[in-house]
Amino acid sequence: MESNKRRLGAILLFLVFLPLIGCAARGPEISRVGGGPEAPAPSSVKSIPSFDLPIPQGERDKVYLGVEGTGNFQLGQVKAPFVIIEVFSFYCPYCQQVAPKVNELYQKIEERPDLKGKIKLIGIGSTNSPFEVNSFREKYQVPFPLFPDQNKDIFNLLGARGTPTFIGIRLSEKGTLEQFYLGEGAFQDSQQVLAEIIKLAGLKEATKK
Amino acid sequence: MKGRRGALINILCLGFMVAVMGAASVYGQAAGFSDNIYPVGKLKPRDSVLRLKVGDKAPDFTLPSVEGAAVTIGQYAGKKNVVLSFVPAAWTPVCSDQWPGYNIARNLFDKHEAILLGITVDNIPTLFAWTKQMTGRGGKLWFPVLSDFYPHGKVAEQYGVLRSDGTSERALFVIDKQGIVRYIDVHDINERPPLEALAKALEDLKK
Repeated sequence: MESNKRRLGAILLFLVFLPLIGCAARGPEISRVGGGPEAPAPSSVKSIPSFDLPIPQGERDKVYLGVEGTGNFQLGQVKAPFVIIEVFSFYCPYCQQVAPKVNELYQKIEERPDLKGKIKLIGIGSTNSPFEVNSFREKYQVPFPLFPDQNKDIFNLLGARGTPTFIGIRLSEKGTLEQFYLGEGAFQDSQQVLAEIIKLAGLKEATKK
Repeated sequence: MKGRRGALINILCLGFMVAVMGAASVYGQAAGFSDNIYPVGKLKPRDSVLRLKVGDKAPDFTLPSVEGAAVTIGQYAGKKNVVLSFVPAAWTPVCSDQWPGYNIARNLFDKHEAILLGITVDNIPTLFAWTKQMTGRGGKLWFPVLSDFYPHGKVAEQYGVLRSDGTSERALFVIDKQGIVRYIDVHDINERPPLEALAKALEDLKK
C-alpha cells in the first residue's frame, strides 16, 4: 500500500517535471531536421557538384576568399579546407533573427588562430536580387561575402530545403566538394554550432586554458 | 523567370518552416508561425481592374490600424511620401515574407521621406496575430498595418485592386507629398515584387 503511494507520488512528480524537461530541451539549440544536438548531421558523406560564383567586387571579400580579378570563381578555389554556406533570404524572418548570431560565428572563427583561414563563411541569398542581398548585408553589417541566388540554382544544387540552412563543405585537394555538416533553421548559440562544425570537420578543439 | 521565382518563394519559406517546425516538435515546441501559413496554390495573376493611373490624385481613406489609431493618407500630406502595400490576405504565402523584408528596409523608406502603410482585407485581431509572428519575440513592424475589413475591401475597391474572391491584389502605390499617385505596381499575386523596383520608384520621386 505504502509503496503504491510512493510509486504514485513518483509518477506524479515525473508528470509535473515532464514539461520542464521539454522546455530545457527546446532551449537555444539549432533547429535541425531529424534531431537535435544529440543527433547531429548525417555522417554519410554527400558530394556537392562544384558551382560558380561571381568574384566579389570588394577587396576585403576577395582577400577573405583568396580569389582575384573579375568574372567567376569556383567554390573549390576558395583558399580554405572548409567552407560554411549559409543559405538565407532577405525576406525570411528566421534569417533576420539569426543574422547577428551568424556574424558571431564568423567572429569566433576569425578570433581563433587555429581556425582562421581554415573555415570560411559565405552566404547565398536564395531568390534574392543583388539589391536585396546588399540590403541584408547593410542591415546586419554582415562581415563575410554574400551572393545572390535569384533563381535558386545554388539552393537546388545544394539540396537545401529552406532558409536558413547551414551547409559545411570540405574542399579536398583533388577539387571535390563534400558536405560534412548540415544545420537547418535558426540557432541561438554560435559557440555550440562552432563546436559541432569543428567536431564534424575533424578539427581539434583547442585545449582549454 | 519571374513566375518561377514567385512560385519558388512560396515553396521556400513555407515548406521549410513546416519542416523546421516538424523538427522543433522533437523538443515539444508548440506550433508556430510557419505551419499556420495556408497553401493557396497558384492563383490567377490578376483579378481586378485598376481605377487609378499615375498622375491621379490618390483617394483619401481612413482605416483602423493594428496599433489602434485610425490612419488617413491626408495626415501625411505635405510631410511624407506614402507607399501603400496591399497584400492579398494574412497567413498566405509570399505576403508572409514580403513585409518582413520591408521591415528590415526602413532606411530605404526613411531616405526618401516615405512612410509605408500595409493594408489587407483582414480584421484587426487576425492582423495582430499575423504581424506579431513576423518579427519574432518582442519585435514589432515599424510601419502601420491597416485593416480594410469593413466595409469589406472598400479601400481596395477604391484603388481598383479588390479581387473577385474578396482578397486584394499584391499591389504597391507610391503617393507623393502632394497626394499624387506616382507609381503603381499591381504585381502578379504569386510573386514578390523586387525591392529594387520600389527603391527606384522612390528615387524617381525627386524628378
